[in-house]
Amino acid sequence: MASSSQFKQLEKLGNGTYATVYKGLNKTTGVYVALKEVKLDSEEGTPSTAIREISLMKELKHENIVRLYDVIHTENKLTLVFEFMDNDLKKYMDSRTVGNNPQGLELSLVKYFEWQLLQGVAFCHENKILHRDLKPQNLLINNKGQLKLGDFGLARAFGIPVNTFSSEVVTLWYRAPDVLMGSRTYSTSIDIWSCGCILAEMITGKPLFPGTNDEEQLKLIFETMGTPTERTWPGVSSLPKYNPQFPQHLPKDLGALLQSQTREKLDGSVIDLLHGLLKLNPDKRLSAKQALNHPWFSEYYQ
Amino acid sequence: MTATTSESPKEPTGDKEAVRTLQRVTDDDLYRHSSQYRLWSFTPEQLNQRRIDINARAALRTDQNLKEFKEAHKELTDEELTALELKAVPVTVEEEYMLVNYYAKMIISFAGKMNLPTEVAATAASFLRRFYLVNSVMDIVPKEIFYTTLFFACKSENYFIGVESFAKKTKSTPESILKHEFKLLESLQFTLMNHHPYKALHGFFLDIQTVLQGKVDLKYMGQVYNNCKKTITDALLTDAVYFFTPPQITLAALLREDEALTSKYLELKFNIIKDAPNEDGNSDPIIDSQKRLNGRKLLEIIRNCKEIISRKNSTKQEELSRIAAKIHFSQNPQSVIERVKRQQQSSSATPDPEESQRKKQKT
Repeated sequence: MASSSQFKQLEKLGNGTYATVYKGLNKTTGVYVALKEVKLDSEEGTPSTAIREISLMKELKHENIVRLYDVIHTENKLTLVFEFMDNDLKKYMDSRTVGNNPQGLELSLVKYFEWQLLQGVAFCHENKILHRDLKPQNLLINNKGQLKLGDFGLARAFGIPVNTFSSEVVTLWYRAPDVLMGSRTYSTSIDIWSCGCILAEMITGKPLFPGTNDEEQLKLIFETMGTPTERTWPGVSSLPKYNPQFPQHLPKDLGALLQSQTREKLDGSVIDLLHGLLKLNPDKRLSAKQALNHPWFSEYYQ
Repeated sequence: MTATTSESPKEPTGDKEAVRTLQRVTDDDLYRHSSQYRLWSFTPEQLNQRRIDINARAALRTDQNLKEFKEAHKELTDEELTALELKAVPVTVEEEYMLVNYYAKMIISFAGKMNLPTEVAATAASFLRRFYLVNSVMDIVPKEIFYTTLFFACKSENYFIGVESFAKKTKSTPESILKHEFKLLESLQFTLMNHHPYKALHGFFLDIQTVLQGKVDLKYMGQVYNNCKKTITDALLTDAVYFFTPPQITLAALLREDEALTSKYLELKFNIIKDAPNEDGNSDPIIDSQKRLNGRKLLEIIRNCKEIISRKNSTKQEELSRIAAKIHFSQNPQSVIERVKRQQQSSSATPDPEESQRKKQKT
């Protein structure tokens, strides 16, 4: 059992939804860790969010999922000791912006990151766990090029938390159209949609659907992917927030759209994979396992 | 945050193995990755040893305390010393087991009275039993951790109840509920995910109907389902949970409920009957014999499991009160002395102090 004196607290790394994260140094081993400090609510004891995250992370031991090493209890706080990662995908992409122009990543790197992302997601799904909040900020990377899923459990336990006292709006950019239209039966397909959005963003350096509210988010999706109809997506019109007045759009040429935003030559294979991940109809979306078997990844499994 | 912009991450090299691993993953592999398997499954010998060790450690402390108590109270009379020798003794491994199981049973029935979901009740029972695979009842008595466990099970199963209203419903206090919460979390080694046999029951319920299509009555199957659910709840209080996987326990419950039906199902599922043609008619002898072997092995495991879940372990109320009193006396030697003193002073008209002591011990 670790004790808090074993770790030296270093700089603050960020504020999570229910905790503050610091970089820490394990004084015994010399290994860096991420210390997620959870204030103990004297009213309710250990917050359910922390319990949820601990519970999930203890089950998910996978090389593409950030590891929870230990939990430390001190008088008024609980500290979750996580594996330390140098960076997150959002910051990494931001750092590559030239002037005001976001840059995509090299295609070989995009592929390696997407592969690892899907590996992590596949493992979660096999374990019947939905991440529900996949976005570049939650994908941690290190300078070995490893990518790991982080920040678990919150979304699943309580829906997506919104802090009403801050102007910071929880991002909708990676949210699937079925969820945006109020579907309650969503499943693993919601994470796959996010994987598609993230893949496109890594290619161009820009978010694919940067909406500011639910309506605009759907509008942006439909403008590019086409407006769904009962024919292309049976059952869509019975979703709670379906609007028959949605402006009708035909699908755009996704390949051409992305090609115009990157210097890298995009082949048909990656566009085909994107189409599979970004199917409007959740039942038609690829599973993580299917995506990993897509020809675009063939160099990893031949 | 450390910037890593200058260094482009390296290309993958060894991922071919990863693909193979990914494709090989089966439900069995998944279960073996679970904390329930890794940390909370044992062989009967391991489990037994664990209980012996926990009891021995706590018994040693109890004896030590008693020794110190005697040294600090040189004035004790012979009669008092004899009473101490008799009363202030550590509980045995068997007594610990009986007491813990009684409270595990209580937690399930209590959860039922509070209308909590079955999974919450099962998790609470599992948490309580695991807590005593790390601690002795002589360290923390079960009634002190009882509500903590139930409240914590609600939280970890996402069934939210505020501590205030939980305290009101259970006639306890938020302070007492939260007092040992971290101790519980720590004892559980932060592993909170439970896999109960109920989920497998639903799966088998559907699969049996598929495999034995047209041969089973839906209404009858509903009855089997409900009875098995009860059997599973009872099984959660046996050591089967440490020796077998949840679906094995479910199959054992099914076997207990209707041996003919379950055997038939397994025979068809695993081609156990030799030379029987399989579903698609063309059979590979090697695969078939392997399947048969697996089927037979499984049947043997399930029969063992059935034997364990069928053992009755009801402990009499008097026995439980006696154990509780024993813990109380061994943890509080002073109370033994007071009892002796009271007995000396009291006339036969006053109520038996041991009796009132017993009453106090009850939850």
